[in-house]
Amino acid sequence: MKDSLLKLNIGILKQISDHAKSDFPEECCGIILSDGEQDFLRQCTNVQNQLHLEDPSTYPRDARTAYQIDPKELLEICKESEAKNRPIKAFYHSHPNHHAYFSEKDKADATVWDEPLYPDASYIVIPVCGDDSEVQILESMRVYTWDLNVGDYLESEIDSSNG
Amino acid sequence: MSVIVRIPTPLRKLTQNKPEVEVNGNNIELLIDDLDANYPGIKERIYDESDNIRRFVNIYLNDEDIRFLEGKSTPVNDGDEVSIIPAIAGGILIF
Repeated sequence: MKDSLLKLNIGILKQISDHAKSDFPEECCGIILSDGEQDFLRQCTNVQNQLHLEDPSTYPRDARTAYQIDPKELLEICKESEAKNRPIKAFYHSHPNHHAYFSEKDKADATVWDEPLYPDASYIVIPVCGDDSEVQILESMRVYTWDLNVGDYLESEIDSSNG
Repeated sequence: MSVIVRIPTPLRKLTQNKPEVEVNGNNIELLIDDLDANYPGIKERIYDESDNIRRFVNIYLNDEDIRFLEGKSTPVNDGDEVSIIPAIAGGILIF
């Protein structure tokens, strides 16, 4: 039994899956804002390839195995979040040809100052598989949410029952 | 030189929840010094042990990443906007 629920409607789940498929074999990333009634999906650019090209010793991975949301897009989305009172509900990214899990790197990057950067935002991970002929999502995506009592990210359940 | 610095949500507990603060200095390094003088604790979060800007901290001067300008020495002017943006990042498990 998972402790917490993240409500996401079918439309948002489809947009996330489609984004993961279209960016395959690279990791996709994005942000979901919510005013409590409606969710707003913001696809972001993964700048990992650019980071890797410019500074491979600091950024040994490219976009096939890592992501970083374009900081400028992140800044604009944070501004929108505050101006329109739409808190960040979740961040999402894909794992191309890997299962959905919250990796050590995912966790370390979410808790850079020894505490969660955005404790109220969940992290959605989409497993996406494929080859030259077909790209598919064979398994369910998974969600991880900061648990204040445990002091760690734990898996939550996705609830799409309201459409 | 007075510049507006945008503080990301995770650091606002150091700025009494202020999303933007006004600080003085004519380059990024001096701005960060002034920021830390007014809001102690910010500097150690931005810099690593060698006083370099941490890998996961992005600093933008207006629309430009200061890594591609002059880093900490990047000059700033009245009316500029500086943003501190901790990276949202991650990656798969590599064996």
